[in-house]
Amino acid sequence: MPVMNHSNCEPSIHPRLIDATVIANTLICREHFRITFECADMTGARAGQFVHLAPARSASHPSDTIGTNWSPVPLLRRAFSIAGLVAAAPDRCHIDVIYRVVGTATRWMASLRVGDSLSVMGPLGNCFPLSTGKRHAWMVAGGVGLPPMLWLAEALRGADRDGIAFVGARSRDLLALTVDRNVPVSIDGTRASPAAREFARHEVPVVISTDDGTFGFAGRIGGALRAYFAAAGVPADDLVVYTCGPEAMMADAARFCAERGIECHVCMERAMACGTGTCQSCVVAVHEPSAVDGWRYELCCTQGPVFDAGRVIWSGVGGAVQH
Amino acid sequence: MGQNTTTTPIDLSVDLAGVHLINPVMTASGTSGFGPEYAAFLDISSLGAFVTKAVTPEERRGNPQPRTVETAAGMLNAIGLANVGLERFCREKVGYLSGLGIPIVVNVAGRNADDYANVCRRLDEIECLSILELNVSCPNVSDGLDYGTDAGRLEALVAHVRPFVRRAKLMVKLSPNVTDITATARAAVNGGAEILSLINTLQGMAINVETRKPMLANRVGGLSGPAIKPVAVCMTDKVYRAVARDAGVPIVAMGGIQNWRDAVEFMLAGATAVAVGTMLFVDPTVPIQIREGLTDYCHRHGLSAVRNIVGQVDR
Repeated sequence: MPVMNHSNCEPSIHPRLIDATVIANTLICREHFRITFECADMTGARAGQFVHLAPARSASHPSDTIGTNWSPVPLLRRAFSIAGLVAAAPDRCHIDVIYRVVGTATRWMASLRVGDSLSVMGPLGNCFPLSTGKRHAWMVAGGVGLPPMLWLAEALRGADRDGIAFVGARSRDLLALTVDRNVPVSIDGTRASPAAREFARHEVPVVISTDDGTFGFAGRIGGALRAYFAAAGVPADDLVVYTCGPEAMMADAARFCAERGIECHVCMERAMACGTGTCQSCVVAVHEPSAVDGWRYELCCTQGPVFDAGRVIWSGVGGAVQH
Repeated sequence: MGQNTTTTPIDLSVDLAGVHLINPVMTASGTSGFGPEYAAFLDISSLGAFVTKAVTPEERRGNPQPRTVETAAGMLNAIGLANVGLERFCREKVGYLSGLGIPIVVNVAGRNADDYANVCRRLDEIECLSILELNVSCPNVSDGLDYGTDAGRLEALVAHVRPFVRRAKLMVKLSPNVTDITATARAAVNGGAEILSLINTLQGMAINVETRKPMLANRVGGLSGPAIKPVAVCMTDKVYRAVARDAGVPIVAMGGIQNWRDAVEFMLAGATAVAVGTMLFVDPTVPIQIREGLTDYCHRHGLSAVRNIVGQVDR
């Protein structure tokens, strides 16, 4: 079994601070939007990385001779996983971000119209390791953990892996996917189907769960994951799991994997100010044999957001992440 | 910027107790790490000076998270002085800092007077470290605030550290969490401070009304950002008039600085140099924009040197 190594996912681009132009910003399901913006080329970015967004200075003031005021809201940038990135000629790219309107920053984002500007810092953070040597790659996403998986699905296809996406939402109307009504969805979690267009276009079938049972498997996505694993007969040592979502969901997926010896990588979320390793806000406690008491803090922004699940110390406190 | 057509060079340099800064724009401690973190966005060597995160005798992991939360026009933080500790700082961080070619300020913190003295003695031996800033006002560790809020203890601390800082200049960072900041400013100067920096964060708290839990794991934290700027300008003005001007002690002012206009405001109130903190998180290029804005301001106001505005607010 190869060593789980997050150094094999080195992005090939340095982060930049640039202005971007909104080219689409649409409601995709209740409270969830997909914003697409065009900016200087970031095609060296990799799935798992994030962008740090703020209002563009020019949006508030036409000239800096009067002094740039970033206030009132939002003051700080907000980190969002890249949900998709395509090159756009020449030396430009289009970046997708999916967000749920839950606070002042996402309310600002929802107000953006085509042609508006925003300030983008990125790409930041590390990325999902793809060179795992495993045939089967399962993505386990809950709620707003879905976006990085959409881009990871594309990368896994490029890496010739057999991908499956497990996507959980509280209810059908909070499922941020385009569901194909003609494709059946398993209600016992034991079968994956090309029911979500965003994954189907990368030849990745999905297993969907809703907490309230309004669509797909009734219950948490971890239940569907267990049901599918029990039925699929995929060898644990030929499987890698990538997960992103609420802390309890990721902890559950990590526990599922640990109990079976399955390689697992988690994409963490933390309250974050700078995104570049200076403010020290976004700490993730990890096991570290060489440290005092066997643990230390690592930074979600620069040493993550993707961590080897076996290293993470799950506290049950996900952090009050403002968006 | 760059609108002016005149070619008269503007002198942006300032002097901090004999330490020459090519311009008055610095970073604030704790907001720019130990240097390399912003290298992708900001040419640090174009700043007036660089200020490190606090260094304590021992490595500190810091507080549990959540450590920061945004509030109206500001943020609360309770990082807890997380840092690599004195020895790793000397081993791993000084090399990069020495290559920047600008004055380096190291923020120093500790649990007691001997901690401060020991860190200062060690750092004083390192040539490239121009100024040592005593962090007596971090509100997030129980062991620092006492010094910063009690004039008598502060003067004793500074006097205790003073003999161990022979080569570098000694700067003391004042807490705003006091009744009369001129009293602690005077105490710092009496103890031997050669430069004053102010303000550190204001103690604050935010509560999630749905869960009834404090927003920070530490319950309380330090408020920074544009929300505190008028408080900081006021304190700069007070300290300048009551203590610093007559004592010939320069002030490095900070608190919510976003742009050149804010920087000018602080300089008019009495600051010789200014530091950008929280806004670095939003835009690491803010110091460069301020530098350009200061040049433009001097042109527009017929000033040959930016230092000529220090303390020049109408009385």
